[in-house]
Amino acid sequence: MYFNHPIFLVTILLLLIFVNISHDGGKDLRKWLPTLSIMSTLIILINPFLVSRGTTILFYFRGKQVTVEAFMYGITMALFIAIILVIFISFNIILNGNRFLYIFSKFLPRIALMIMMAIRFVPLMKRRLDEIGDVQRLRGMSMTVGSLKTRVRSGMLRIQILLTWSLEEAVHVSNSMKARGYGSEGKKSSYTPYYMEKRDWFWLFVLASLMVVCFYGGKLGYGQMIIYPELGPWQFFQFDWVVFFCMLILTSFPLITEGREKLRWK
Amino acid sequence: MEMINVNGLSFQYPESASYALDGVNLRLKQGEFVVVGGPSGCGKSTLLHLLKREIAPHGSPSGDISYFGKSLDEWEERVLMEEIGLVLQDPENQIIMDDVMQELVFGMENLGYSPIDMRLRLAEMVHTFSVEHLLNQKTTTLSGGQKQQLNLLSALLLKPKLLLLDEPTSQLDPVAAKDLLVMLERLSKELGITVIVVEHRLEELFDKADRIVFMQEGKIAYDGKSREVIHQVFKQQDTSFLPYIPAISQMYLEMEHSPTVNQIPLNVNEGKAWLASLPAMDQMIKKENGKSTENPKPIIELKDVYYQYEKSSSMVLSKLSLSLKKGDFYAVMGGNGSGKTTLLKTCLGLLKPQRGIVKRFGRKLTNKSVNRVHQNIAYLSQQPHTFFIQDSIEKEMLLITEQHEIQDSEQQIDSLLNTFGIEHLRNRHPYDCSGGEIQKAALACMLLTKPTILLMDEPTKGLDPISKIKLQSILRRLHSEGLTILMVTHDIEFTARIATKCAMIFDGKITAEAPPHSFFKGNYFYTTSINRVTQNSQFPEVLTLEEAVHSWQERELA
Repeated sequence: MYFNHPIFLVTILLLLIFVNISHDGGKDLRKWLPTLSIMSTLIILINPFLVSRGTTILFYFRGKQVTVEAFMYGITMALFIAIILVIFISFNIILNGNRFLYIFSKFLPRIALMIMMAIRFVPLMKRRLDEIGDVQRLRGMSMTVGSLKTRVRSGMLRIQILLTWSLEEAVHVSNSMKARGYGSEGKKSSYTPYYMEKRDWFWLFVLASLMVVCFYGGKLGYGQMIIYPELGPWQFFQFDWVVFFCMLILTSFPLITEGREKLRWK
Repeated sequence: MEMINVNGLSFQYPESASYALDGVNLRLKQGEFVVVGGPSGCGKSTLLHLLKREIAPHGSPSGDISYFGKSLDEWEERVLMEEIGLVLQDPENQIIMDDVMQELVFGMENLGYSPIDMRLRLAEMVHTFSVEHLLNQKTTTLSGGQKQQLNLLSALLLKPKLLLLDEPTSQLDPVAAKDLLVMLERLSKELGITVIVVEHRLEELFDKADRIVFMQEGKIAYDGKSREVIHQVFKQQDTSFLPYIPAISQMYLEMEHSPTVNQIPLNVNEGKAWLASLPAMDQMIKKENGKSTENPKPIIELKDVYYQYEKSSSMVLSKLSLSLKKGDFYAVMGGNGSGKTTLLKTCLGLLKPQRGIVKRFGRKLTNKSVNRVHQNIAYLSQQPHTFFIQDSIEKEMLLITEQHEIQDSEQQIDSLLNTFGIEHLRNRHPYDCSGGEIQKAALACMLLTKPTILLMDEPTKGLDPISKIKLQSILRRLHSEGLTILMVTHDIEFTARIATKCAMIFDGKITAEAPPHSFFKGNYFYTTSINRVTQNSQFPEVLTLEEAVHSWQERELA
């Protein structure tokens, strides 16, 4: 855990949620919301009862002390996990197939391509499975009626049909790939519509500098709060503010760029 | 200049007793547009695949294929890869990447082109065929026709001199198919690319091709210019190739007393010109034989049905009403994405409409009843092989008789296999059958339970003309035996020959419903080619070739 000051974490989380909403209106985030809230609540509730470190005792539970520090620790942990999850959701939206391939094909060209294909074939398989389901349901092999055994059996049969069908089709896929030179000798080049422009380099430099400040501050203990053995003060020192400010810009960078575009087109 | 010289080529698949190709000789000049036709399993696809070395099938070939005077094996791998392009049948299976752009450059990336080179070619290609609007889309959002165009373009980006296409339009609707063929014609005419198309749907291609090759049982049966081949086939009354010939040309050959090869019409325009040159005949008003006015019970009834796939998407069906009466052969036609398949699935109870009533056998559909009445309903999907769960057709049929406790199963199975003429496929694995065969097998299996209604989704998609005729006679027979049939299709010619009621679906509604005669005769575009020729001519307006010949003979007798 790097920054563990609750104010830092809450700010980061809020900003990231806004960033996420700016991607797709929070559609993906909403799907994760139940998991996220249940997980956070569990961590906050369970941690103080399992860990009895800390000096400020709230009450005793079955002879064990329940402390403010452990509560605080649970909260920071929950915030931390929430942040990671939200970042991951953003990552998923932003780094879709193409960009993923672009980044990873530099080190792992073949594996990256395979992953790409696997991702592309998931919806295709889904469509095929639906089609099989329709046909089989109408011939009386239902997955919703009958004993568990027959249901499982008809489910397995569907998968079997799907596999036979897909293998059959895979021959054509590989033919088409071979016909266009896949697997031929020589180096594979990469056509990419992504370029680092001057302004990209500039902003990369700015972001990197901010990052360095944050790291340096963190290393010196700024942006952090002492939890164990005794809850430290909430108060910000001068350099805390500097680190906080850097962190603020760093996390809200996507919002700033997106917002600027929005304003420009108003 | 001679580009391809196939010399005495024979080919045998492993563990197969017969030859897939048997002494094929074929010479191709540069820039030719060649169409190869023939029944399924005649070896045309094998021939095509042998021309592309990377995907040449395993087996024992003999004979020689040379490319610009040098045997294929002597050429450098890379040169052949670039110079011979390939587009396959199913558009879905050839797309590998998620983005259109990535898909287009896939081949160039594999061959290690520099980014500048790729950009240049891409820009040029995209501009020439004006597909800018596709460039930033996801491949999954494209229609079938657009996908096939994409496949063609990505093959073209390697600048091939020879383009091989294996039934490129068989999975497309007529409009998309026409677009693709126009693109091919352009490639041939403007860029001088040599094109070899293996195809079943030849009606359009006869007009475009420089040369037609018909194959049968691994041998070349006919080879020549479109008109010459048509003439020869007709002269010999070769029943295995007559169905391939455009209806207009057949009409000419049937009716003209002294046909000349050069005058054979290949398209509607030429057909009209020919008809106009004939002496006029007095119109004989054919009386429609008035059908009995009895009103059979509706089997499937849809009333004011609304359906949309997602809350935010548009209505696919809106206030649609339809009633399928007992004994109907009902064909629903309509463009891509007009909701044909949705309609079918609603009738089947697979989709539950947001509003409206769906009744089957006079009862409202519920989840339970969908699962219960499957015995009465047969559904032939676009992928008939999804029906099969056993590894042979006979086992499948036995399983069904067991499930439904059908008496004297052996006898039933035998008679059905005989009716469909697939006795020889009895022990075949469903996946080893051709498109037409598997369709028949699936139909045979479904009929074991004696359904009262058959629903079909695009039954003629990907079928060769011979299989189509067979399907037609089977369906006619089933219909006359009392089966009620509902099909959705693109195939105008097929519908005109077989349906008793046609309907057009447009804007989520059934907009026109009539027997084929009155349905098609008023239409300007959306009708058979024979009808387009005879419309507004001094001859009686007819829909199909049989009808034309029939009315002609009647007149001669009169």
